[in-house]
Amino acid sequence: MKYRGFLPVMALALLIPMHILALSRIGEEQKRLPVSDESAPVITGPVVRLTALGNEGLVSDFLFLKAVVFYGGTFERKGRPRITPGEWKWLYNILTASTDADPYFLDPYYFAAGVLTWDSHLIREANELLEKGTRYRDWDWKMPFFLGFNYFYFLQDNNKASEYMMEASRREGSGRVISTLASRLAYEGNRTENAIYFLREILKNTDDPSIKNEYTFRINALETILSLEQAVEKYKKKYGSTPRDLHKLVEREIIPALPRDPYGGEFYLDQQGNVKTTSDLASMSSRR
Amino acid sequence: MYGITIFALLLMVANYLISGMFMQEIGKVSVDLALSAVTFSGLLLVFFVGINLISKDFDRKTIYMVLSRPISRTQYIWGKFLGMAMLIISAMVIMSIFAAISIVMLKWTYPDYFARFSWMLVLLALTLTTLMLILVSALSFLFASFSSTSFIALILTIISYVIGTSIREIKALVEAPQAAGIQVSPFILKVVNAAYYLFPNVSLFDIKTQAAHGIHLSASYLFWVIAYGTGYIIITILLAGFLFRKREFP
Repeated sequence: MKYRGFLPVMALALLIPMHILALSRIGEEQKRLPVSDESAPVITGPVVRLTALGNEGLVSDFLFLKAVVFYGGTFERKGRPRITPGEWKWLYNILTASTDADPYFLDPYYFAAGVLTWDSHLIREANELLEKGTRYRDWDWKMPFFLGFNYFYFLQDNNKASEYMMEASRREGSGRVISTLASRLAYEGNRTENAIYFLREILKNTDDPSIKNEYTFRINALETILSLEQAVEKYKKKYGSTPRDLHKLVEREIIPALPRDPYGGEFYLDQQGNVKTTSDLASMSSRR
Repeated sequence: MYGITIFALLLMVANYLISGMFMQEIGKVSVDLALSAVTFSGLLLVFFVGINLISKDFDRKTIYMVLSRPISRTQYIWGKFLGMAMLIISAMVIMSIFAAISIVMLKWTYPDYFARFSWMLVLLALTLTTLMLILVSALSFLFASFSSTSFIALILTIISYVIGTSIREIKALVEAPQAAGIQVSPFILKVVNAAYYLFPNVSLFDIKTQAAHGIHLSASYLFWVIAYGTGYIIITILLAGFLFRKREFP
C-alpha cells in the first residue's frame, strides 16, 4: 500500500525527461523536412476580402509580415541569385494581396518601393503598387515621391517623374526639397546628382535601421560614381576628348586611384562616355 | 470574467510584441490587432456564453421552474436578453481598457509612427463592435427560442454571422458580375437580395479600417448604422418572444 503514491511519481519522473527529449528530437527532425516552396500561389485580393470575415486589416498585416520574414530569411542564403525570379513574383503577389486587403496600409508600399525596384528590377510592378498607394493614401506625399523617383531613376522618364514630384509637393508635409526636385527634373542630365538628392531625402525620413543601411550604402556608391563623372569632365576639359577608359584618369593623375564599387562590381566607361559599373548597383554578394 | 481579463492581458502583451515588428505604420497595426482581438473574444462570449443562457434552461429543464413563476414568456426573453447585453457591454469595457493600454504603451514607445491616430475613431469602432455583438446575441436568442438543442442554435448563429460579414461583398459581386467575369442567373440575384435584407449586415458595423488609418466618417453614416442596428435588434427579440410564446414544452 505504501507504494501506491510512489509509482505515478516514478512514472512522471521518467516521462517528463522523455517528453523533453522527444520534443527536441522532433524539432531537429522537422528542420530537415523539405521547406514549403515560397513561390506557391498567393490567395488573391477578392478571396482574401471574403474570407477575412471583417478582419481585413489583420490579414493584410499578416500577409505583409510573411513577405518581410521571407525577404529577411533570404539574407542567410549562400547561393546566387539570392532570390529567384519566381520568388520575386511571389513577393509582388503577396504585397498585392496585402494591399488588396487593406489598401491604406503604408508598409507594403514602402517595402515595394525599397526592395522590388533595386534588387529585382520589377519596376513596373512596384509602380503599379505605388500608384494604388497614391490613389488610396491621398494625404501621403511619400507615395507619389517614390513613384517619381522610380520614373526618374529606373525608367528615365523625367516628364512623368516631375509630374509625380509636383503631386507629392502639393501634399501636406512634403517640404520644400520636393518642389525643388520637381523643377530640377525638368532639366535633362545631372542624373547621378539628382539621385543622391532623392536618396538623401528618403534617408531623412527613415528610422528603420536596415532601410537606413540600404540607402546609406547606395548613396555612397552613387557619390563614388559622381566623383568619377566629375573626373571625366575634368579630363574632357583638359584634353578635349573623352578618355578611352577609366584607367586613363589615373594615368593622367586626375584621380589618385580607381575607387572600389561597394556593390562588388568594377567601374568602366561605356560607348557614350558614361560611368557604369559591372554590378549595376545591385548586390553582387551578400553584404550583411 | 476571469477568462476575459486573462485574454485581455495576453492580447496586450501580444499587441506590443507584434506591432514592434513592423517598419512604418505601427499605429495602424496596433489598432488592427487590438480591435480584431476584442471583436474575436466578444464573439466567443456571444457564441458560448450567450447561447447557453437560454438553451441550458431547456437542456436542464430548469425552464419549467421559471415558467411557473408569475412572469410572461416575453418578459423572460427580454430579461435574459438585457442581462446578456449588459454582460457584453461590461466585457467590452474591460477589454477595451486593456486594448487602450496596449495602444498607449506602443504610442509611448514609438511616438513617430502614430501620425494619423485618433482615439475618437477607435472609441467609435469599439462602440459599433459592441452594438454588433448585441445584435448577434439577439440573433442567437431568436434561434435558441425555437431550436431544440443549444448546438443547433450555435451553428445557426455562426452561419448567420459569417453570411452577415460577407453579404455586402457578395451583393456587390452578383450585381456587377462582369467585373469578375462570371455569369449570374436572375434567381441567384433574387436569393442574394433576399439574404441581404434578411441577414444582419455585420460588415456595416466594422469600421476597423477607418479607425486604423484615421479616415473620417460622416455623422449620417453613424446615425444610420446605429438606427439599423437597434432596429434589427428590437425586431429580432420581438420575433424571439413571439416564437417562444408559441413554443410547446413536452
